Amino acid sequence: MILGRVVGEVWATRKDGRLARAKLLVVRPHAFYEPAFATGHLVATDDVDAGVGDDVVVCLGQPARVSAGGENMPVDAAVLGVVDRVELDRRALDKPGPGPGIRRPLEVPFP
Amino acid sequence: MMRGTIIGQVWAARHAPGLDGQKLLVVAAHDAAGRATGRVVVATDVLDARVGEDVTVAFGSGARNVLRPGPDNRDLLCDAAIATIVEGAG
Repeated sequence: MILGRVVGEVWATRKDGRLARAKLLVVRPHAFYEPAFATGHLVATDDVDAGVGDDVVVCLGQPARVSAGGENMPVDAAVLGVVDRVELDRRALDKPGPGPGIRRPLEVPFP
Repeated sequence: MMRGTIIGQVWAARHAPGLDGQKLLVVAAHDAAGRATGRVVVATDVLDARVGEDVTVAFGSGARNVLRPGPDNRDLLCDAAIATIVEGAG
């Protein structure tokens, strides 16, 4: 799963019939996830009624298809939850780890 | 699998039904030298891992196998799960 913020919504009249009832949201990931998302956003189906400005947990791949309605859905990203609270501890990265070297600070837009 | 450090936790009261009871932790990925790469994932935790612990995260069907091993786990809503809590690495 990844953390992201809903930045918009997508409407489409001509679309796959299995997506007829799907609500599509534009989500900007809070942190870089994979080179595949170099464009900086992704489109996810939404069953939990998230809105623009909400922070969400987005699931990718096969579980997203299951969440959207079944194994045969043309979906690869789904909003699984609307985030109430995130607690991040930056000091967790400062402690000496098993590997050598210095860990650079994380750039996450959370307090 | 991916190595990383747990840096936090996520709470989401409004969620998909399949997410009931899942504990979601935020994991920052390491490279081979132990440096944070900037990649951050949210992973399901069934091992009771704590913030600050080093872990490995399994993705895809491997993540579902952490929650429920076997071929009948394709209904689980999980694409990343904490597979091991690392105590030492050479």
